[in-house]
Amino acid sequence: MKRLALFAALLVLFAAISPVAAQTKLKVWYAISGDSGAAFKTMLDKYSAANPDVALEASYSGNYGDTATKVSAALVSNTAPDVALMAAGPLYTGERGDYFIETKINDPDFDKNDIFPGVWDYAKFDGRICAVPYGISTPVLYYNKAVLDKAGISLKNPPKTWNELFQLAKTAQAKGNVNGSSDFWGFDVTDVAWLFKTMLNQNGNSVISVKGSKISPAFADDKAVEVATFWKKLTDEKVMAVGQHANAEKKFLAGNLAFLVATSARIVKWSQDATIKVDAIPMPYFQKPSVAMGGNVLIILSSNAKNKEAAWKLVKYLASKENQTAFAMKTGYLPIRKSGLALPIAKDAVASSGMFSIAFDQLDNSWSYWHFDQMGTMDQILAQTIDTIERNTVTPKAGLDKAAADLQAEIDG
Amino acid sequence: METDSNGIVPRVRRTRRKGGLQARDQKRAAAVMLTPLVLTLFFLFVLPVVFVVVMSLTNWSLTNTTRDFVGFKNFLFVLKDGRFWKSMGNTIYFTAFKIVLDTLLALFIAVLLDQKVPFRRLFRIAHFAPVVVPITASSLIWLWFYDPGIGPFNQILTTLGLPALQWLYNEKTSLLSIIVFSVWKGLGYNVILFLAGLQSIPESYLEAARIDGASERQVFFKIKMPLLTPVTSFVIMMGLINCLKVFTEVDVMTPNHGPLESTLLLVSYIYDQSFTRGKMGRGAAASLLLFVVVFAFTLLQRAVSRKSVSYE
Amino acid sequence: MSEGKKAMKKPGQKPKIFTTLFLVLSSVVMIFPFVWMLLSAFKTKADVYSYPPKWIPSTFTWDNFTEVFIKIPFFRFYANSIGVAVIQTILQILVSAMGAFALTKLEFRGRKSMFSFMQSSMYVPEVVTMIPLFLLAAWAGMVDTYAGLILPGLTCAFTTILLMSFFETLPDELIDAAKIDGCGYYRVFTKVIIPNSRTALGTASLFAFLTHWRAYLWPLIITNNVNMRTLPIGLKYLVSDPTFEYQILMAASLMAIIPILIVYLLMEKEFVQSITLTGLKA
Repeated sequence: MKRLALFAALLVLFAAISPVAAQTKLKVWYAISGDSGAAFKTMLDKYSAANPDVALEASYSGNYGDTATKVSAALVSNTAPDVALMAAGPLYTGERGDYFIETKINDPDFDKNDIFPGVWDYAKFDGRICAVPYGISTPVLYYNKAVLDKAGISLKNPPKTWNELFQLAKTAQAKGNVNGSSDFWGFDVTDVAWLFKTMLNQNGNSVISVKGSKISPAFADDKAVEVATFWKKLTDEKVMAVGQHANAEKKFLAGNLAFLVATSARIVKWSQDATIKVDAIPMPYFQKPSVAMGGNVLIILSSNAKNKEAAWKLVKYLASKENQTAFAMKTGYLPIRKSGLALPIAKDAVASSGMFSIAFDQLDNSWSYWHFDQMGTMDQILAQTIDTIERNTVTPKAGLDKAAADLQAEIDG
Repeated sequence: METDSNGIVPRVRRTRRKGGLQARDQKRAAAVMLTPLVLTLFFLFVLPVVFVVVMSLTNWSLTNTTRDFVGFKNFLFVLKDGRFWKSMGNTIYFTAFKIVLDTLLALFIAVLLDQKVPFRRLFRIAHFAPVVVPITASSLIWLWFYDPGIGPFNQILTTLGLPALQWLYNEKTSLLSIIVFSVWKGLGYNVILFLAGLQSIPESYLEAARIDGASERQVFFKIKMPLLTPVTSFVIMMGLINCLKVFTEVDVMTPNHGPLESTLLLVSYIYDQSFTRGKMGRGAAASLLLFVVVFAFTLLQRAVSRKSVSYE
Repeated sequence: MSEGKKAMKKPGQKPKIFTTLFLVLSSVVMIFPFVWMLLSAFKTKADVYSYPPKWIPSTFTWDNFTEVFIKIPFFRFYANSIGVAVIQTILQILVSAMGAFALTKLEFRGRKSMFSFMQSSMYVPEVVTMIPLFLLAAWAGMVDTYAGLILPGLTCAFTTILLMSFFETLPDELIDAAKIDGCGYYRVFTKVIIPNSRTALGTASLFAFLTHWRAYLWPLIITNNVNMRTLPIGLKYLVSDPTFEYQILMAASLMAIIPILIVYLLMEKEFVQSITLTGLKA
């Protein structure tokens, strides 16, 4: 009897610890906080509950910059997380020659063709897919209804080109000052490099050109100078304030700005509760409509095969039609799947505010430039160059030439 | 057994120590007393610096896996980089202004707080309060203060009929704006130091001087100031080192190095190279150059302040 | 002695008024931002966006304070911050006091070079040592541990040098008197130096505590688990875009600093206590 009891006890014990023994521990880091971070964490918790064989250790790793630092340090010391939600950048696994995700996306239940092609571009490194796009956004042109009403501007036929928008912004600047403020402007943009790259692509410039393994900046040609010259016109003719882009959003919400280019991620917030009435129009263009992608992606950093597979399962779950679309609608990111747009949540959103359809439609024209090692540096150089152009310390051509030379020096090492 | 004025009774030990053994006792005691300090210095300073030195000779990148020795290439790059020299110039400008403001203002306020004014405790805590505010909060507040359109500073200026300033958004005023913020934030530290220094001057000396007929002014300049020399020297030296190393407050106020990179300081440059551009090797080289700069400055400071004061 | 004290009384009450006035002015300048912070903590979202910006909230609400506790484990972060900072302070002051004593009151070869060596450890900014330290800590298994939070923060050069400049002003006669009475150096340390340096030790402790309490970069990089995190990181958790939701951030910051200010008020006597060494001269 005793032996039987012992055997039974051992069996029970074994059964009890089995799932624990077989449990895979996955570390998940995410670079979003506040409500977005909470929404992401909720999804992770749901996955944990539904999958007892996986234990998730989720943590907020700081903003994009801090997360990049943490991940780099962790990679060097072999304490890296399994999955990270972070900004697109050279920390892609592709940089390390790890294209694991590229091999997995052909899984039938992942349905890679359901994701917009422009959005896939955003998850590539060196031309190959090595991440799954997740919290995606595009720049959107917002406007303040009250300001435009006061200026007598009707947007029944929205401006198609930048020059047309320029004229409207000028009129708004002259006649639309609803608050009587001394700091009132017609146009501004929150992320300079982002809009500039968008404009470059619209004008037929690819920003970066790749010939075989040689990467070189392409943003110093005539088309680019055209764009920069237009940008300079905005500040020269006092339609846009010089060097105040960090305050643009605050100014807009205070009602002291007519048109603002900002991330689509604001739509959810502003359609629900801003103190001013905000609406949007399609992004104007130079030669062809196009918007540059931004936002964050999911990457898999696990080193052993078992964790990699488990991580991929998690990523598939997160990127499913229902989950990703729900996440997007709650946080203000965009749906990455065409099928997501057909879901009731998305349709309801479109019904609630016209801004959503503007953002969704732009997904068809979304584009991403070639991702490479020094892409972060490029953004920094572009932003600085535009600053000097705005302040008239260099001509557009000279500024862009110098920027290209600087970037080339960085690329060549 | 007599007690001293603090009521300390030295305990008597029955062993005898001869003069010749004193030196050895001191050495032994010194070794014991210094060991913990040396340990921390070894792990937290020596090891990392060795690592940094090695790193500066490679093309270590944060983003890929290349690890080759490149000799002095990184040093040459940094020394030839216009941005590096710009950051150096900005840092020296920042340091000069901040040290002068910090020291003089703190000393002045400490002298005032040393006197028996009403509400002294309230004043003290008011000057100390900015030190405890987390930088996330204080930077937000000051960013709003400096807003050219809706910030209170410009509101005050325009009400007084003065022209509004661009503060953080103009290359001429950006660094100064940060200096003002930084002084506001850090003044409390120096006030406490000077206060402690003033408070530890024995009343007997001041009494003696006053009895001898010295005016308050003479008492201040001829007795208090010289006795404050160690504290002043400390404040300036620490100020120098901290200014040359400043990073966080500049980074939160002007995340992109300000208009025309006017708030790009030395540590910002290092952070930029190491983390934004991922070039750890170059960042390491720049760090070593910074080390040399700080070293040079402290030598300079030591050469300038040669006075030592005894109680005689 | 009372006649002496009477003779000490400063003549003229006029300068006091000027002094008081100036202090009022400078105090206002120093706490001006606090007023904004205090008022903002009670604002509703609408007030935050409004133009022109409101100083006084249109409706006072306590919601922001409760939001803080809902959004983040505030008490846990706070406890971590305080606990880690206190331990670090105690250790740091111990190490620094011992070192400062040796460097000022003991004779040994290489004293000057030891000082220079220690001082040069302050020349290196945190961002530079961050990565090598992290590698070291990770190799030692200290990631996500209290040891990892506490130990690498023990850079003692600043407090050591601070204590040195105060120890230097302690007259050697005190020490000689103790030695004549038969004290060895360790007793000199505990029975003479420490009791006579209350102001210096208090000041150094305060500085050390504040430095550790507000550390952000290192705790961020060494911890992943939310329960290990400290308050400065916690504040960043609160808001995805601080410029628009700062009323919650202000409420949290307010709750974070008030206890510190109270402790400062209570400990303030330590900083203003005057040390009289007249006994020796008499």
